[in-house]
Amino acid sequence: MDLLHGFGGQLLLGAVSTVELAAASLVVGTLFGALGCWMQLSGSRVMRGIGYLYAAVIRGVPDLLVVFAIYFGGSLTLASLTGRYVEINTFVAGVVALALSFGAYAAEIARGALLSVPQSQREAARSLGLNRAQALWTVVLPQAARIALAPFGNQSIVLLKQTSIVSIVGADELMRKAAEASGATREPFTMYLAAACIYLVLTGLATLCLEWSERRASRAFGS
Amino acid sequence: MSFKRTFGLSRRTICLLFATSLSCGAAFAQASYRIATEGTYPPWSFKDAQGALQGWDVDIAQALCEKMKAKCEVVAQDWDGIIPGLMARKYDMIVASMAITEQRRQRVDFSDKYKETVSRFVAKKGTPEDVSPAALKGKAIGVQRGSIQANYLSQNYKGSDIKFYDTPQAAELDLVAGRVDYILGNMVTYFVGFMKTPDAKNFAFVGPELKGGLLGDGNGIAVRKGDADMLSKVNAALAAIRADGTYDRITAKYFPFKLM
Repeated sequence: MDLLHGFGGQLLLGAVSTVELAAASLVVGTLFGALGCWMQLSGSRVMRGIGYLYAAVIRGVPDLLVVFAIYFGGSLTLASLTGRYVEINTFVAGVVALALSFGAYAAEIARGALLSVPQSQREAARSLGLNRAQALWTVVLPQAARIALAPFGNQSIVLLKQTSIVSIVGADELMRKAAEASGATREPFTMYLAAACIYLVLTGLATLCLEWSERRASRAFGS
Repeated sequence: MSFKRTFGLSRRTICLLFATSLSCGAAFAQASYRIATEGTYPPWSFKDAQGALQGWDVDIAQALCEKMKAKCEVVAQDWDGIIPGLMARKYDMIVASMAITEQRRQRVDFSDKYKETVSRFVAKKGTPEDVSPAALKGKAIGVQRGSIQANYLSQNYKGSDIKFYDTPQAAELDLVAGRVDYILGNMVTYFVGFMKTPDAKNFAFVGPELKGGLLGDGNGIAVRKGDADMLSKVNAALAAIRADGTYDRITAKYFPFKLM
């Protein structure tokens, strides 16, 4: 740790914060994604419109702007609605912004996966006497999940690295800690290299998890 | 911890809510402010290996609070979001060695100047102290392109050979290599940077401290536009720490010269 002039602990704290941000955003973002996908495939034209608008706007705008909008715009909006200042927690604002972004991509992934399951599968399931929910749950979703897993995992790794933009609004995550450490020690190369190594370890672990779950998902049914 | 954080109830938020409800009850309770600084810019503001905020700006902020008889929390905020954060009421003032510029004046109100932007020539040890345009006629002077010092030289030192560099470091390297006779730049930046390097052992500041006019309006403490109450409190506290020597005492902790 001497190489890091005692800043190793700070960098690790930053890494913990990065993982917390990523994990919370993954959970909330997956919910947003499911909701977005459901709206896009809905029978109602209004719902479909909202679903597509969500994906189009969020995917078309830099994530940094989304973070600014939630953190600064959010508290100004709440203040004007309630008539007094409302504090928005950095962590919450970061999770909401990252989840909005993740959800937009996840919705597209889920929609693509669901649509790639042939219509005949659904029809066959219905003709065996399953109702719509049963057909979706036991026949369509397991097949769609296999297809969705790889791009979904990809997007999760992007999310892990994306957490660094939340440092702009004061979150003490890994990149911010590295910036502070390089400022204090005047050794930016060492500190950012250390941060890069930590990111590599984190994304490496995430990749291993994904490979394991892909192997698991591609087993033949019933085995 | 992470469960609580997910739902927005960090310990700080709870404390803030609690504090707010308390201060509503007691209308004359002690004021409390949040102050933003930058946090990666030693010796002005930086975090030590324990993650604690340190530096000249942090000390000044705390001294101001003492004079305002307020309870303060100093927070580190990334530079890119520091003015938007003030406008969104994340904190009440910015004490971060922020240069007073016309552009920033349109978005925030600045206190009285709390630090001078001082420029100074550096040359080989033993160089005469006279750095007037007449004395430097025909000499080569290195300066950072686009800086306030570059503008100042172009206007006043027309008889000298001014060489422009993309970074202050490039000018410093050419001074060491002997391609220029003088360099002109921010004195404190030289003091904490170039003058501390082994290359600088044969070089020294020459001539007087230069400031004002083309060389900048100094640094100010930023408050929200139109927050006249805050501004007058900050200015009063600033005058108080200047008058009773606190300001100079803090400066002496970091520098062997005065900042104002």
